Amino acid sequence: MNQYLELFHEQRALIDAPSPAFMNACRDDAAAAFQRMGFPSRKVERYRYTDVEAAFAPNYGVNLRPSAVADVPEGIARLYATLADVRTDAITALNTMLAQELLVVHVPAGVHKENPVQVTHTLRATAPLMQNRRLLIVAEAGAHVQVLLDSRAETGQEFLTTQVTEVFVGEGAHVEIYDIENTHERCHRFHQLYAQVAAAGHLSHTAFTLASGLSRNQTEVTLVGEGGEVNLYGCAITDGHQHVDNNTLIDHRAAACRSRELYKYVVDQQSTAAFAGRVLVRQEAVQTDSVERNANLVCTNEARMWTQPMLEIYADDVQCSHGSTVGQLNADALFYMRQRGISEADARMLLKQAFASEVIDALPLEALRPRLHALVEKRFRNCEDCRLCRK
Amino acid sequence: MYSMKNAYLCPAIIRNTLMLEIKNLHATVGGKEILKGIDLTVRPGEIHALMGQNGAGKSTLSNVLVGHPAYTVTEGTVTFNGKDLLSMTPDERSHEGLFLSFQQPVEIPGVSMVNFMRAALNAKRKYQGLEPLDAGAFLKLMRERRKIVGLDNKLTSRSVNEGFSGGEKKRNEIFQMAMLEPTLAILDETDSGLDVDALRIVAEGFNKLRTPETSAIVITHYQRLLDYLKPDVVHVLIGGRIVRTGGPELAMEIERRGFDWIKEEL
Repeated sequence: MNQYLELFHEQRALIDAPSPAFMNACRDDAAAAFQRMGFPSRKVERYRYTDVEAAFAPNYGVNLRPSAVADVPEGIARLYATLADVRTDAITALNTMLAQELLVVHVPAGVHKENPVQVTHTLRATAPLMQNRRLLIVAEAGAHVQVLLDSRAETGQEFLTTQVTEVFVGEGAHVEIYDIENTHERCHRFHQLYAQVAAAGHLSHTAFTLASGLSRNQTEVTLVGEGGEVNLYGCAITDGHQHVDNNTLIDHRAAACRSRELYKYVVDQQSTAAFAGRVLVRQEAVQTDSVERNANLVCTNEARMWTQPMLEIYADDVQCSHGSTVGQLNADALFYMRQRGISEADARMLLKQAFASEVIDALPLEALRPRLHALVEKRFRNCEDCRLCRK
Repeated sequence: MYSMKNAYLCPAIIRNTLMLEIKNLHATVGGKEILKGIDLTVRPGEIHALMGQNGAGKSTLSNVLVGHPAYTVTEGTVTFNGKDLLSMTPDERSHEGLFLSFQQPVEIPGVSMVNFMRAALNAKRKYQGLEPLDAGAFLKLMRERRKIVGLDNKLTSRSVNEGFSGGEKKRNEIFQMAMLEPTLAILDETDSGLDVDALRIVAEGFNKLRTPETSAIVITHYQRLLDYLKPDVVHVLIGGRIVRTGGPELAMEIERRGFDWIKEEL
């Protein structure tokens, strides 16, 4: 923890130099909060499944950007670091303290973006590198936008990424975010996404972890206006010594909102994974309609999956359900396929692909589905053909 | 048996005279011995009917032959086209030409019939040293074979057996058989759960696929499937052993008198 505070205090001028004033204005509070909280231990409920300190312990380099970033309109700047609360989350505080660049997706009222906005993050370095990414997505009333976030790595270095994304979904606005992580086992990522959905707004968010070393995605959505809707989708494919932890909070603060969650994991070899999904229905959130589902395929005896669906209801007249399953590949289906001549490795692969398909086929952006199906197949094929499949 | 003269004239026949040879086969499931010494020989082109009451070991025999991992062979040998069947993996047995029409076909949500069949067919072609079929040729083959069993196009575009009726599942088994062209098919109660029309379609589909070289072991409780398939040999299985072997008239007698008279004669 000290190395990050030292970096901040010693390089403060360099860190501030390219950034807009509204970002710099948040740094002192963030640093103080970070110093006070330190990295969350496993005793902090939301972080119980991930060893944060170990992930941040190695000595990473940081590239400080020298040139100034473009100006952000006052109305947008005002929203920065308002959802992402530095006082309650150490990683958000760390990111706010160090992030120099801000990527803004701003869709003015009533504008429908026809094509998705694609943001590609590529990791490339010759030495271990830390990156602090910051995104602000603002869809004003009635706006419509799809944002595709692609994370890749071009070199095999150790990487550590913190990312904080703030999403404002205005009244009747429609926002879809597809976060596809396809890096490698030496990449560590902490993504904190905070979203606020106004009346009759719609947000759908997908966290698709195809490959990574450690990924922790914390997704917090607050439904603040009547009739808002949120769909959270997630899929994680893990093997080797990977670790994926999806932590979600859907906070129903207004009446007649609808929330859906579907997270599926294929956990293979010695990998570990966790899903903790909390749905909070406040007293004023009557007529809430919420369904949460997490299904997991655990492929070996060494693989571990923790699942923790949580439903907290303080309102009457609501309709909520949550469910979670952990299982193995269906032995009858495996044998059936083998009788037809399909090898055990291929049969396992087809079944795993089929399991993940449910999430892909549920995604609203249809054009993305064939690409994800292909990526998933490629992922499983690599896995079966090389070091990974033991049978 | 063929005379030496015939054998000289028909070398192909003598080479293939024994397609399947089961000798003194014992097998257990969950530690309990179910098969207690089965001897059975199937020649190319023959249809064998296997009859017997529930629990006699009919399905155990078919599961052992296709290599189901829940069953353990404790004694005996099985030779298939001159090779040791029991040392092969289930997929190798399939590639060698063995096919089981399952009593209860499995539903596999998320795996499309097309992907499933393509994986199966291309695995077999790879085993035979052939190139995979290209998409066009594969779909054409699917269309052709689908018609033989009257399987609806809608069904082949769905997930394997998902939401199929009982009859559709059985029809789908015969469709898969048509795709894979096995030399020995085991039909495990393919008639169960079929109405008379569906039974006729399935049986006629099977007959259309027959060649002089293909054989079958038909497990059934009833005569009506045998009316269509016309077995050459009928076996009665009781207590894990074949206790009687005869011609088609044996099946008719069982239909009339049940199994108790055979038990009494033992």
